[in-house]
Amino acid sequence: MSPAAGGAEELVARFGLMACQAEIRVAGVDADAAQAGIEAAHSELRRIEAKYSRYQSDSLVSRINAAAGSGVAVTVDEETAGLLDFAASLHQQSEGLFDISSGVLRRAWNFRAAQPPRPEQIAELLPLIGWSRVDWNRSQRRIALPQAGMEIDFGGFGKEYAADRAAAVLVAAGLHHGYVNLGGDIRLLGPRPDGRPWSFGIQHPRQAGATVAGLALGSGALATSGDYERYLEVDGRRYCHILNPRTGWPARCWQSVSVQAPLCLAAGALTTVAMLMEEAGPAFLRRQNVPFLTINERGELRREGL
Amino acid sequence: MAATKPKYPAREPRGSVLLAALALPGLLPAVAVAENAPEQAVVAYKQLYYQDSQAGLDRITVHAPSLYGLLPMGEHWSLEGSAVLDAVSGASPRYYSSVSGASHMDDLRVAGDAKLTYYRERSAYSVSLSRSQEHDYISNAAALEARFSSDDNNTTYNFGIGAARDAINPTNDVVEDETKTSLQGIAGVTRALTAHDLVQLQLSYSSGHGYFSDPYKLFDNRPRQRDQGTALLRWNHHLQAVDATLRLSYRYYADSYGIGAHTAGIEWVQALNDVLTLTPSLRYYTQSSADFYFDPPASGPFPNVPEGSYSSLDQRLSAFGALEGGAKLEWRIDSKWSADLKASYYQQRSAWRLLGEGSPGLDPFRYVSVEFGLTRRF
Repeated sequence: MSPAAGGAEELVARFGLMACQAEIRVAGVDADAAQAGIEAAHSELRRIEAKYSRYQSDSLVSRINAAAGSGVAVTVDEETAGLLDFAASLHQQSEGLFDISSGVLRRAWNFRAAQPPRPEQIAELLPLIGWSRVDWNRSQRRIALPQAGMEIDFGGFGKEYAADRAAAVLVAAGLHHGYVNLGGDIRLLGPRPDGRPWSFGIQHPRQAGATVAGLALGSGALATSGDYERYLEVDGRRYCHILNPRTGWPARCWQSVSVQAPLCLAAGALTTVAMLMEEAGPAFLRRQNVPFLTINERGELRREGL
Repeated sequence: MAATKPKYPAREPRGSVLLAALALPGLLPAVAVAENAPEQAVVAYKQLYYQDSQAGLDRITVHAPSLYGLLPMGEHWSLEGSAVLDAVSGASPRYYSSVSGASHMDDLRVAGDAKLTYYRERSAYSVSLSRSQEHDYISNAAALEARFSSDDNNTTYNFGIGAARDAINPTNDVVEDETKTSLQGIAGVTRALTAHDLVQLQLSYSSGHGYFSDPYKLFDNRPRQRDQGTALLRWNHHLQAVDATLRLSYRYYADSYGIGAHTAGIEWVQALNDVLTLTPSLRYYTQSSADFYFDPPASGPFPNVPEGSYSSLDQRLSAFGALEGGAKLEWRIDSKWSADLKASYYQQRSAWRLLGEGSPGLDPFRYVSVEFGLTRRF
């Protein structure tokens, strides 16, 4: 029996967004409906990018940071309040390892440089880090950074949140088959039209363009953090861009951590925290009850449920 | 007694990070989406046109409409079925190309099959039945198949067994109530080497017993036992830069009649835009002749074939090489409808045999086939 069925009816849109390659793939609907949904998702992504970019001086985040140390609290909208609550919760659950005020370390860390920063450069910045010192008033939705030079950013989960939001917009447009992939952080709308899952590869941490594992997903989300996208290497030691807010130095121990969760926001945050927890990462992910995949410093792959 | 301190810190609430993320509005749609088994019904119609030719002769023309249906049944089951009606007219393939006198045949073949599949998370099991009926030939077959995926879904194993029983009652009464039975086993493994590379190895073996001769051909007396083995190796490589897939295949075949065959195929699946896909393909086939095949004499009387010895003049058992070129155009009209058009041209020549001489005295054999298909999803 050779079915005539199975011709892939898919629409794929690719564009650059949030400094990464974005891909939206939908299947099982007519092109007009899919096109309208993809456009709605695209504008939702641009909206989030504009709102939370720290590079755009008129963004909400830039206004909060500009007011640091002035004693003036910035009132935020409900969406931002929700994200700040999530950040606060994650900070507490990760024992301070996930900290949206750790972005100041970028002033010392230049991953295009030939050398890591001097320890005293980092020591100067550490006093500016600390979510627990941020004055976040949930009921009034007001936030104030107590010290000039402090800053917050949503870089740790903005992309993942955007992927979830784009997926929600697509589903609301009646698209139930496909996924949103923002630079490797993936949120699914649902399986292929015939019910089969989509298959995803896990990027090889040391060979660009190669994958180390594959997995099939029909729903939920998949995120990966690694030491290979932005890093500098000196004397055989790799300094990656995932920085520990307590020490100011990069996480070691894992080349890559991937997590599957119902939401991309959760999956992405969990990969980052697991990277920062180093040896304690897998135990943390087990307690969080999520399937995950790790690749250690020697390149050894380990899968637990994923 | 003092309470002992727990050895490990208390377990955090399960999925607390997820719970925090779920607290955000607008991230999780309320719509639940089913997994596993197919969830859309499919009906497909195909119309095949086939015409073959050999120098100076009107050959077989086939118009074959076929219907395929897929019905999902709940979360774990699906039922598939297909039916084909072949209206065949013209001369049957000429066994012996240096002698004219092809018999005329008009025939109608009705065939159908049904397949029931049960899907589990990492495996699927199916049972299928098929029947094909012509006025002088009835074939019934049944098969069981199972597929298993590894935990990482990178490797799939498939196993199958099948049995077929054919009843042959030729109109010329050369034989009466003859039968042919065969058992087949198949095992395969498919593995995703990288995100862009898929390789597959399929091995199959079939053992048949009964009447394999062609009752409409002179001097056709074939062994009543035929064992066949095949090994198929495939590699699909996706080229992301050009949004295309290269499919390479090699098949080795050998049977107890002494035929050994090699097939090499190449296909290029090119997405032209969002709705059109074009797949050009080229296939080369070569085989050695059966031990009991004998070449038709260039002129003069038929050779002496001792009574009871095996013999055949069927050119399908001769040594030859063949090339088939084709192209398929698929058009996704909208979410419900899709159409495809497939055309291929086949030519077989003794001289094209690789690894040895081709059988002499045979005219080149060609066919053209065009197939149009229309698929509707529900």
